[in-house]
Amino acid sequence: MEWASLCTQLLVGLSRSMILFIVSAGMSFILGVLRVPNVAHGSLYMIGAFSAFSIYTYFGMGSTGFWLALLLAPVVVAVVGFVAERLLFCHLYQREHLMLLLFTFALMLILGDLVKMVWGPKYSSIMPPGGLKGSISILGSAFPRYNLFLLIIGPLVAVFLWLFTNRTKVGKICRAAAVDREMVGALGINVSWVFAAAFVLGCYLAGVAGALVAPTVSITLGMDHDIIIEAFLIVTIGGLGNIWGALVGSLIFGVTQALGVLFWPQFAIVFPYAAVVIVLLMRPKGLLKSVW
Amino acid sequence: MKFRVGVAGIVAFLTLFVFSGGVYAGSKAIKVGIIDCYSGPPAVYAKDALNGFKLALEEINKEGVLGRKIEFTTRDTKFKVDIGLSMAKELIMREGVDILVGTISSSVALAVSDLAYKEKVPFFVWMAKSDRITGEKGHRYVFSTTENTAMAGRAMAVGLSKKPYIKYWIAGDDYEYGHAIGRAAWRNLKRLKPEVKKIGESWWKVGEPDLIPYLTAIMSAEPDAVIFCTGGRSMTNVMKAIKATGMAKKVAICIHTATDHAVLKPLGPEAPEGVMGTMDYHFYYPETPENKAFVKAFRAAYGEPPGFPAFHGWITAKFIAAAYRKAGSVDTEKFIDAIEGLKIMSPVGEIEMRACDHQVVLPMFLGVTKKVPQYNFLISSNIVTIPGKDVMPPCEEIMKARKGK
Repeated sequence: MEWASLCTQLLVGLSRSMILFIVSAGMSFILGVLRVPNVAHGSLYMIGAFSAFSIYTYFGMGSTGFWLALLLAPVVVAVVGFVAERLLFCHLYQREHLMLLLFTFALMLILGDLVKMVWGPKYSSIMPPGGLKGSISILGSAFPRYNLFLLIIGPLVAVFLWLFTNRTKVGKICRAAAVDREMVGALGINVSWVFAAAFVLGCYLAGVAGALVAPTVSITLGMDHDIIIEAFLIVTIGGLGNIWGALVGSLIFGVTQALGVLFWPQFAIVFPYAAVVIVLLMRPKGLLKSVW
Repeated sequence: MKFRVGVAGIVAFLTLFVFSGGVYAGSKAIKVGIIDCYSGPPAVYAKDALNGFKLALEEINKEGVLGRKIEFTTRDTKFKVDIGLSMAKELIMREGVDILVGTISSSVALAVSDLAYKEKVPFFVWMAKSDRITGEKGHRYVFSTTENTAMAGRAMAVGLSKKPYIKYWIAGDDYEYGHAIGRAAWRNLKRLKPEVKKIGESWWKVGEPDLIPYLTAIMSAEPDAVIFCTGGRSMTNVMKAIKATGMAKKVAICIHTATDHAVLKPLGPEAPEGVMGTMDYHFYYPETPENKAFVKAFRAAYGEPPGFPAFHGWITAKFIAAAYRKAGSVDTEKFIDAIEGLKIMSPVGEIEMRACDHQVVLPMFLGVTKKVPQYNFLISSNIVTIPGKDVMPPCEEIMKARKGK
């Protein structure tokens, strides 16, 4: 096996990990702070991709359209998330997890049908902007420029999340609420609004991932189901509710998949899942500390 | 109490209404029951097929068939075998349909085919591409009006055997359709050109969003040509990944349906150029009067050009009408005798319902994706027509497969 192809393959895997990280970080954050296993998170990601498509089309399907879509689509998703939180979720936090799981599952089906009503069942597609089209050569192997862009965005999102949870008041309150929500309430903080903020942030991240993934895939119904299983696995192996766990989990998932494809292509599907099984056998509570 | 009587009355009325309606329609017109997936992503194709079918029916019903009209009713299978099967049962038992038509899903088609055999109701498969439908699982009551995986694989093999490539890689969706196309293409390519070598295979899960790792891995193995066996939304994903990695410039690529309008249009001008594809229908090719008339009528009725499903829907209706006219009777057995070997004129020329296996004989078009000034999306260019007889698996092969079952 050539060194160059191993290297590109690793980079390709890492860039895929970035998308997975952004999705699962949002999901893990909601899980940690709100204690809601949000199955509808994948639907929000799908709405992000579809909104990105609409915004991109509205602004003339060019580079401007893409950048605006990347900025605005997450906002659309955040608004959807905010409405859902204030109308539905905020009444349900006291329920047991099974109820929440059923509720978010129902929400996933409803959002899926809503997407079908608004955008129809067609396959849609958007293009990366001018400078990010095509591929560059890394040690002689082709590597798509857009994936390079993902490799830059992913760490930026991670840094932003670190700053938010460690350097802002809201972020610190969120972390505190994740550990002990009664105590936070007892300190006179309006927990309800903290939850709303956390939920909206999680949804915003789903939107970012949806908009980011849009140029690399076909935007279609069913995206939600594809991503949610992977995101759940990542959140589980990373440690429930721990966003750094989500980062580690995504890296494991993306890289094992890419390398599996290179070394054993017939059975590539198995690799990331095998990695999950191994991690869970060795550390049943996930790699990093679970907040549960 | 009053309320209960009211409800009972409404129920009784509705029951009467539904049943009388069914009986009345059954005795008068020829009824076609259509089961297909009208929800979720496959709905785009199902609707297109239905539109083609409706367009042909309008024309047929102007003069009628044996003094009757052909009517149809549709049911949504939701892409699920159990739902499709119960819908088909309902259409046979309650609606009393004379003919069943459907569906995009091969597994639904195979299940309904068994039912059609038991109930002795002719079943026309217009989109599902599994070669088992008219192959090993075929019988007297099932017909296919679409190309199948065996034909598609053969068509690709015929096209590729004339090219200089030796080292091949096969990759695709890890499900029945993908593997069936891959098997058929490879078996026939090996038969036509024994010196070809398969250096590797990769299979990804259906709907795998990111195919770039697969493509970069394939490129590092340096094959001469790659055969991708993908369908549905994976088509867009694989085309995007080909474009992003610049793969088409480095290795030859052949994909069944890569040159399809439904695949290329959403990608716009950014679809990769130079990808070889086989396809059973293009609205812009062949430029025959029949095809032009069909496209014109379809555009006038539905405001967009027909896709391949519309073509299959159209020929299905035409085959049904022509067979009834030839049989001169609405008797099912006479209808089947009449349709065996029946030839009709279609937008792609004269096509035949092969008598031995009830598989329609269709030509295939091998082309290469290309940018052209008159469209803002890519089209198939340098089209070579592979005649129907070259893409059909021989009858003996089919009969052997059926006997083995």
